[in-house]
Amino acid sequence: MKSETNGIRKGLQNICRDAPILPILAVCLVISCIFVPNFASFYNIKVFFLQASDLLVVCCGVTFVVLNGGIDFSVTSVLSLGSVIGAYIMVFSPIASNPPMAIAVAIIAMLAVGAVVGLINGFAVAVLKMPSFIATLATQLAFSGVAVLFCSLVTEKTSITGLPDGFFILGGEGGYFMVPILIAVAAWTFCFWLLKYTRFGRSLYAVGVNPKTAYISGIPVKKVIMLIMFISGMMAALASVLSTARNQVGMPSLGDKLFISIMAAIIVGGTSTAGGFGGLKQTLLGVLFITLINNTMNLLGVDWYVITVIQGILILVSTMMGMVNGIGKRKTKMMVLEAKK
Amino acid sequence: MKNTALRLSGIEKSFSGVKVLHGINLSIGEGEICGLVGENGAGKSTLMNVIGGVISKDAGTMEVLGEAYSPVTPADAANAGIAFVHQELNLFTNLTVAENMFIEAFPVHMGKINYQKIRKTAQEKIKEYDLPVAPDMKIEALPAGIRQMIEISKALMKKPRILIFDEPTTSLSFKEKEKLFHTINGLKGNGITIIYISHILEDVFALCDTISVLRDGNIISTDNACDVTKGEIIQKMVGREMNQIYPAIEKSITDEIVFETKDIVWQNKVAGVSLTLKRGEIVGIYGLMGSGRTEFLRTAFGIEKPDSGEIIVHGERIKKQTPLQSIKKRIAFVTEDRHQEGLLLQKPIFENLSLVALPSLSGKAGVVNRKRERKLVEEAIENLKIKVSDPESQTAESLSGGNQQKVVFGKWVMNAPGIFFLDEPTRGVDIGAKFEIYTIIAEMAANGATILMVSSEMEELIGTCDRILVMKEGRITGEIGKEEFNQEAIIRLAL
Repeated sequence: MKSETNGIRKGLQNICRDAPILPILAVCLVISCIFVPNFASFYNIKVFFLQASDLLVVCCGVTFVVLNGGIDFSVTSVLSLGSVIGAYIMVFSPIASNPPMAIAVAIIAMLAVGAVVGLINGFAVAVLKMPSFIATLATQLAFSGVAVLFCSLVTEKTSITGLPDGFFILGGEGGYFMVPILIAVAAWTFCFWLLKYTRFGRSLYAVGVNPKTAYISGIPVKKVIMLIMFISGMMAALASVLSTARNQVGMPSLGDKLFISIMAAIIVGGTSTAGGFGGLKQTLLGVLFITLINNTMNLLGVDWYVITVIQGILILVSTMMGMVNGIGKRKTKMMVLEAKK
Repeated sequence: MKNTALRLSGIEKSFSGVKVLHGINLSIGEGEICGLVGENGAGKSTLMNVIGGVISKDAGTMEVLGEAYSPVTPADAANAGIAFVHQELNLFTNLTVAENMFIEAFPVHMGKINYQKIRKTAQEKIKEYDLPVAPDMKIEALPAGIRQMIEISKALMKKPRILIFDEPTTSLSFKEKEKLFHTINGLKGNGITIIYISHILEDVFALCDTISVLRDGNIISTDNACDVTKGEIIQKMVGREMNQIYPAIEKSITDEIVFETKDIVWQNKVAGVSLTLKRGEIVGIYGLMGSGRTEFLRTAFGIEKPDSGEIIVHGERIKKQTPLQSIKKRIAFVTEDRHQEGLLLQKPIFENLSLVALPSLSGKAGVVNRKRERKLVEEAIENLKIKVSDPESQTAESLSGGNQQKVVFGKWVMNAPGIFFLDEPTRGVDIGAKFEIYTIIAEMAANGATILMVSSEMEELIGTCDRILVMKEGRITGEIGKEEFNQEAIIRLAL
């Protein structure tokens, strides 16, 4: 009997340590179901998961960067530029008359945008040793500028409409709503596997904790960082595909509002911005939580700027709690250490 | 009769139910130098933290110069006239010497720091302690020995009555050590009471009036330094006979040359070092601080790129040596700074151990074979006798110094290397663990590995090596074979 309660207590302790957001998420979910009108409707649940899919995909990539102690601002520009370029190919290019072909080429082009931006970031951070903060801020500014310019050059309007119907399947149009959700789950699973079971994932954590130790232990630090930035770009590009298909429009402002949600999801989930601690389980929970906030606030008709205030406060509070927790942990560790002495 | 400067009676302290201090009784006379020795884990740090007001005691009383003393914060300790010189240097490397000296209380005039004053006072202190620095020099540009002296002068600025040194000589050269001892004796002459904690018994004997041995949270004995021998102290520390602390393991050295350097030059630290290592050999490099021994070892492993010279491994000349290249050639490197470069401190022991072996544990696709990994980690823990309850959750940080060092050894051993570069392999490790590490080294050599080991502890080199190379000012100044080992001859080559 005693061991059983101990087991439960240990399990709860582990949850509180690894994923403090889980109980909060559960409580908020119950509250939303009861008090927010239309929240528990089939339509809204569908919308909820579709919203979560885009965010989850882009967050997976950024989690890699954050685990390495860095940050990637440029993901929002990948979303925007990918969206505009993809839409351009599907609407204005010579192959637009052949929708299946145009869709395929558009997707490849969008992923290529992610690859290019990711590689530039990787080169800047790994080889030129620029702080990722600066490097990705620069690429973010440059490529979101390109997205706006490109859009206004090819069309007079601020967005590109008239995308082929077939493309909307990727956005979950009609009965295909499982498609983007499954893509997101697959992307998350792949990233999870990469992080947990491969040499690359293990090296990533090591570099995130102590790059010097990692280098002396023979870990190709530069390659690892290159790959991290590349993956972040690619995941943002995939999110761009899903998001463009869901919104049914190519927009240079597609990623603009997303950054705060990305960072909120990762940090609230419990991944440390100092690098080395946390992971994709935490990010999954963080994404669900932030999507829940966004979704319910929308249903309640709360203004977007109020939502950003809430997200800002969430980031602040969870970072603070993380720090308190971290210090607390360190203290107990020191005591154990002392006890051994 | 001298007054008692510090009297401790019945000090007890437990951490989460584990009793660490079992009623410490100790009294130190004014103007005395008391050496405090004990293995890692004996309770020295806890005791010092209690005295320093960093942690509170559970029971017992303290008196400083006859007055009751019960500190709650480190500031209370400072007010009572107790100052510390810590092993880990607490200087701000990005600030200047003068700024560091005044960091705790800058003289301020209308909200502005009076730089003229601190520079002037710092200059006086520098003169007083004969330091080869200028007040405006940045700490990062100074060698460890001088940093230590600055740390001491900083502590002395508070005009303490009791000064506690925690392992002050680990990073000092011979000359700097002499100077330090001279300074400490001078302080004693001024009536300052000194508690001197060190692993290096020679220093304790050279310096201290009384020696107290701490073991398992008890003061085992307090003797006048002239009444005891080193052997007796060691025996008291470990509680067992330790006549022969160096293992004797049969091994053979072949003529096969496995590693060779020719005229390695690196910046102004290494000035043309050539050496050859044979299979099964344990070669020591002795040198004082600043002799370039560590820098040479780092260059040989590829952490630093040599400006000129050749590195030849198994007869093959290496063009661009990096740690990764060296690891592929089955070379291992145990760093002198395990916290910064050897371990992922906050990560579990499991992840620390498999770090180097990851490539060999994962196939072409890069997927780690968890089963094999677990097996190898278990083997390493068993072979190296690492004391750990759960390698997958316990962090490296939580281990004692000796066990941490064994984890560093373990991560290299898991990759089955043929050549080991060891930089101060027993620094900050207690005597029991030291013996285990010597045994590991000897066993590796007996199994055909080649070992190149840098150490500032001459005894350790004499005890473990087949031959010793002595370095001075970036060059090898001599080589001494096992038959001719002799402390005087070695130090003469190094000075």
